[in-house]
This record gives sequence, structure tokens and C-alpha cells, in this order.
Amino acid sequence: MEEKKAKKQEIIETEIQMGTVHPAALEPYRVRFFVEDEIVKDAEITIGVNHRGIERIMEGLPVEKANMLTEKICGICSNSHVWNSVRTAEKGLEVEVPERAVYIRVIVGELERLHSHLLYLAHGCEVLGHETFSMRIFYIRETIMELLGMIGGNRVQYGCSLIGGVRPRCELDDNRIRRILEGMDVTEKRIADFADRFLHDSIVLSRVTGTGYLPQEQALKLAVSGPTLRATGVKRDLRTDMYEYDNFDFDIITQDTCDVKAQLIMRVLESFESIKIIRQAIRDLPEGKIADRSWEMIDTDIIESYIEVPRGTCYHSYAIEDGRVRGSIVRTPSMSNIGAMQYASIGNHITDAQLCIVQCDPCFTCSDRAMEVYDMNNNKLDKSILNNHIIY
Amino acid sequence: MSYSTMLIPAVEVIITLILALFIGLIIPGIERKYVQARIQQRIGPPVTSSGLWASVKFLYKENIKPNSPAPGLYKAMPILCFVAVLMVFLCLMPQNYAFLVLANLIAIVGFLKVEEIAYVLMGSLSKSVMSGGLRFDDHIKGAIRQGLLVSYLEDISSSRSLRMIIFGSFPLYLALFIPAVQSGSIYLGDIVAYQQAHGPVIFTLAGAIGAVVFFVGYMILLNEYPFSIIKAKSDVIEGPYMELASKYRSFVVVTRGFLIVTLGLLFAVLFIGVPPKLFSLGIILDLIVILILPVIMAVCSAFSPIFTNRQFYPTVLLSTFLGVLAIGIAALF
Repeated sequence: MEEKKAKKQEIIETEIQMGTVHPAALEPYRVRFFVEDEIVKDAEITIGVNHRGIERIMEGLPVEKANMLTEKICGICSNSHVWNSVRTAEKGLEVEVPERAVYIRVIVGELERLHSHLLYLAHGCEVLGHETFSMRIFYIRETIMELLGMIGGNRVQYGCSLIGGVRPRCELDDNRIRRILEGMDVTEKRIADFADRFLHDSIVLSRVTGTGYLPQEQALKLAVSGPTLRATGVKRDLRTDMYEYDNFDFDIITQDTCDVKAQLIMRVLESFESIKIIRQAIRDLPEGKIADRSWEMIDTDIIESYIEVPRGTCYHSYAIEDGRVRGSIVRTPSMSNIGAMQYASIGNHITDAQLCIVQCDPCFTCSDRAMEVYDMNNNKLDKSILNNHIIY
Repeated sequence: MSYSTMLIPAVEVIITLILALFIGLIIPGIERKYVQARIQQRIGPPVTSSGLWASVKFLYKENIKPNSPAPGLYKAMPILCFVAVLMVFLCLMPQNYAFLVLANLIAIVGFLKVEEIAYVLMGSLSKSVMSGGLRFDDHIKGAIRQGLLVSYLEDISSSRSLRMIIFGSFPLYLALFIPAVQSGSIYLGDIVAYQQAHGPVIFTLAGAIGAVVFFVGYMILLNEYPFSIIKAKSDVIEGPYMELASKYRSFVVVTRGFLIVTLGLLFAVLFIGVPPKLFSLGIILDLIVILILPVIMAVCSAFSPIFTNRQFYPTVLLSTFLGVLAIGIAALF
């Protein structure tokens, strides 16, 4: 298929801006749609209005404190960030994690994937304008949130990892294991019922079929990652490279139609795989301690770690110097998926455009990493000018 | 005509109007609490909060100057809508059939069109900040296009309203004329008299098809999901109403409820032949019709995503076809 791209020289009469505040967007971002007769010819997404400078705050912090801070990067995949940050330190310090702790990390990670995918489905249905479906999915998600709250102590910031294992709070006793298994049974049935209902709703299908087309070659060119990439037919899942998942048997789900429907079905099918992994982890949960705190702090060079989080590939890197973090870099999956969001919305009706963005599972606030400041006259402000302008 | 024969009907009309306004303010609550919330397995808001208390609450809110090239005209539009709906309501009152020359279908269609045109004007007069945030180019990535004419979200809403006037509400107007074809008159008095003699239009084939077509048009005219393209949350947000605040927003809430009641009465008059005469048994039937239509509408809204052109055009075309078919049947039999 020919690449969907409006030529730079092409005269497009109208620009429609949405954001930075818009009810279809969960987060602040600005999208410029260049439209002709309500059909999007080109799109430009701008983020950067929710910059929090996490990496800058991490600079010079003790490693364990910095790890805790990474949990605050994202409210949806909070555990994934703390897991990857801890994993980075463990890699540099050559810490061996007890097997029971690895299994608990996998359980929490997969529960997080479940809640993230269900949130995605709910948000997608909300942008579709189908409030009932959205509410039903939030109702299904509630079980997962309760389980995460039970294990991590919170419904949102439930990160369980610390260097050498997991927090004592996250130990799984028989009662917790029983509740997780019951939760998985209930969730599996409810998701299956929902999927059945969804796939037999012809009106909903007419909205999502063929909408937001993102071809495989374009997805690869734009370095898209995670389920968004797999929905274009690319069988790539970083979990297959992670040592934590070595003992688990699961399928990498892919879809071929490359549209919003494929993205939605992708999440549903991946949810079943997550349930499968959680059941395996519970069944084979090894005995033993959940944390090994006998490691020693040493100085390291830049350490890098990639993991598969619910939305794609998450990257953390930093060096350790005197037990403190130096040169931290965090890259969230949405950073690489922004191009796909822009591309997918081209050629669609403007009502579908937000859906095309949402289909790539955006998490812009987590992706805000750098900003430049301009004054009203469009002059770039450097640090010295900023110091003169800002009263601390 | 004596003083009492003039006064009593006038008082009846005023009491019916107050009753209609009150019911209109309760209906949004019924839709949300007893239909949508039940379907979505949640508790839902109190019945009185969505319409009644919302309209009272807005009255006490601080008014802001709308971001509009003609703020006065923009703020007058909700009042114009209310007056248009009020005129339709007055046309439907049986007390007016005898002497009000406007108690006919052409006048009703005209007033409803005024209500629709108000959305076009409101959309083009509203310039909210919702589509004007961060109006500068992306320096970091490099803006792909610069210096284009920037449209406001309400401009899309306005052009969509125009489309709705041209063909969107066509099914409703077709449905209105089915009883007229059957009774051979466009005057409401004659249509009611015909149905009292021959039975309700809805029990005929043409009338039954017409009722379905009317209902589709009813949802389109009320801008209700899935037909709410002029105020879709996924793109144009509140559309023409975006800049309305305080008492003007209150007018919007009241007018919507009033329009629901008025269209319900219109259905009762045209398809069942029961005009809203106070202190008669017919008013109970009218009330039932007024409540049933929004309840069915809320069910349809709860089970459907918002329509885009791909779904909207076929639905309108099919409804229009059914409307023409019903008129054909009514004319032939």
C-alpha cells in the first residue's frame, strides 16, 4: 500500500488543534490536524507540557531512593519503571535475585499488564463514544486493581521491586495466592464475555474496522514497540529475552489487519496470555526468601536495561558513583510510538482521529523528557536569561 | 367570547407549560439514573441533579464573557431556541387549534428549523480556547506546516449542524407528514379529529413505520448519542454550547428538557391523536409517551458508539427511505 503522507507542498486549507486540554485525551498534549473536509491529511503531536524532570531529580540521589522515584514516572505502569530501574542496578552490581522474588515480580508485572490493557480497552471504548462498554471494562479491571492493592499496598503506586528481590509487603501467602487465582478465573470469564459481545456488535465493528491503518513496514520504520507493533503482524516481544520469563510458556500474539480493531483484539488476547503466565507462576512458585540484601555497592559504568512493559519497550540507564545515580535516562514506549499515532490518524475522519491516537496506547506525561523555553517574541531562552526571569 | 372562556384555556396552557418544563428537567435524570446507570451497573446521579438542580446551579454561577465575535448574539441563541420550542409547544395545545393559525405542521417544521439554525450560528460564533491552546509551532521537533488558517472546533460543529439541517433531520420531517397524508390536512385540529374518528395513526402500517422514522429523527434532532455529531466528546466536545456559562447554560439545559417533552407531545398528537388537554385522561397517555421516548433513546444511546459519516449517512438514508415508503403507503391506502 502506498505510504499515507500529505506532500509538504500540498495546500491544506484548515488546521484543527486539539488540546492541550481535551476530554478525549487523558493527558495534556497538543495535536494539530491538517484537514480537508473533515478528513485528516496530516497530523502533528506536541508533548512537553507536563515535564517533571524526573531524571534531573534522580541525579545524585542514592540508588534505592532513585529507584523509588521512578515509580512516580507513570501511574499506569508504575511497577514496570521501578522494576526496570532496580533491574538496571542489579545488572551493574551483579546481584542475584532469589527465584521466588523473580516469580513475584512476574506476577505483579503481568497483573499490571492486565490492568493496563483493560484501561486501554476502556479508554478506546470511551473515545468510540461507547460509554457502556467503557464502564463494563472498568468493572472488570476493578478485580485486578484490588489484587494489586492487596500485593503492593496501593492501587496505583504498588511497585514491589527493590535491589535484590521484592519488598516484604509483597510476600504471597496461601490466602493471597487463593485470591489471585480466584481473581484470574473471574477476570478470564469476564474478558471472554466482553470480547464475545464486542466482536458481535456490528456498529462498533464498523467504527473500528479499517480505521487508523498502520502498515507493518511503516510501524517498523517508525520504531514502534510493544502491542502496537505486534498488532501490525510483527512477532516481537521483549519478554522472550528477559531472564525472568525463561520458565514461562506463553504465546506472542500478533494481528494482521493493522487497524484499531486489531489493536483492540490484540489487548484482549494478550490479557489471556497474562492470565496464563500468572497461573503458571502461582503453580510453580518456588519456596525460599524473597530478597537477598547481601550485595555490596560498587561504582559502575553506564548500565542499560530494556524490559517489555504493557505499552512496549521501556529503557532505563544510569551509572552508579559512590552509591548515587549519575546520568539517568528513562525512555518510555510512547516516545517511539508518537510517530505511529501521527501516521495512523492520516486519512481518517476527524472523529476517528483521536481514536487513531488512542489505539497506540499513548502515555505522554511519562514521555516528557526535555523542553525548550521560548518567550512571547519567539526567542529561545537560555539558562542565563531564565535565571534573570525566574524568581526562585 | 367571554372573559372566562378566554381565561380558563390560558390558565390551562400556562399550567401545562409549567408541568412540561418540570418534567423536562426531570427526564435527563431518569435517562441517566434509571436507564444508563442501570445498564452500566453503576449507581448513577440523583434523579434531580442532571436537569433540575443543574439548571438552578448554573443560574448562580459566575457569568463569563464568551470568546466570540458577537457575544450578545451568541448569548441570545439559547433564548431563541427556547422561544422556538415554546412556539411548537403552544401550537400543540388543543386550546389553540381553533384560532391559532400556526397550529399546523408547516409552522411546526419552521419553528424546529429555527431551533436547528441556532446551532449553526452558535457554532460559528463560538471561539473557545479549547482549540486554541499552545498556538505556536513545535520548535523541538520542527513544525511540519506553518501559518495555516486555524479553525476552531466549533467551526466543525457549525458545518455539521448545517449538514444536519439539510439532511440529518429529514426523517423527522417526513414522519411528521405521514398523519397529514392520512388525514388529508396539515392542521393539527383536523389530524386529531381524524384519529378520534378512525383510530390512532400508529396502528396503521404507514403510521407504525412513521413512528420508527420519527424516533430516529427525534434522536437526531436532540443531538443524542449515537447521532450527536455536533457535540461529540471525541472531537468537538460541547460544540456550539462550549462558551455558554451561567444562566445561558441553564437555558440550554431547560431547553433540551423542554424539547424532549415537546417532541413527545408532538408524537402523541400526530400518531396517537391525544392532544395535551389538562384535566383529561389523555394527558396521562401524553405523559407516558413523553417518558417512553427518552427512555428508549437512552437505551439506544447506551448501546451504541457515536456515529461517523460511515454510519450516519446509511442510517439517515434508510430512515428517509422508510419515511418516503410510509408516505407512499399512507397516500395509497
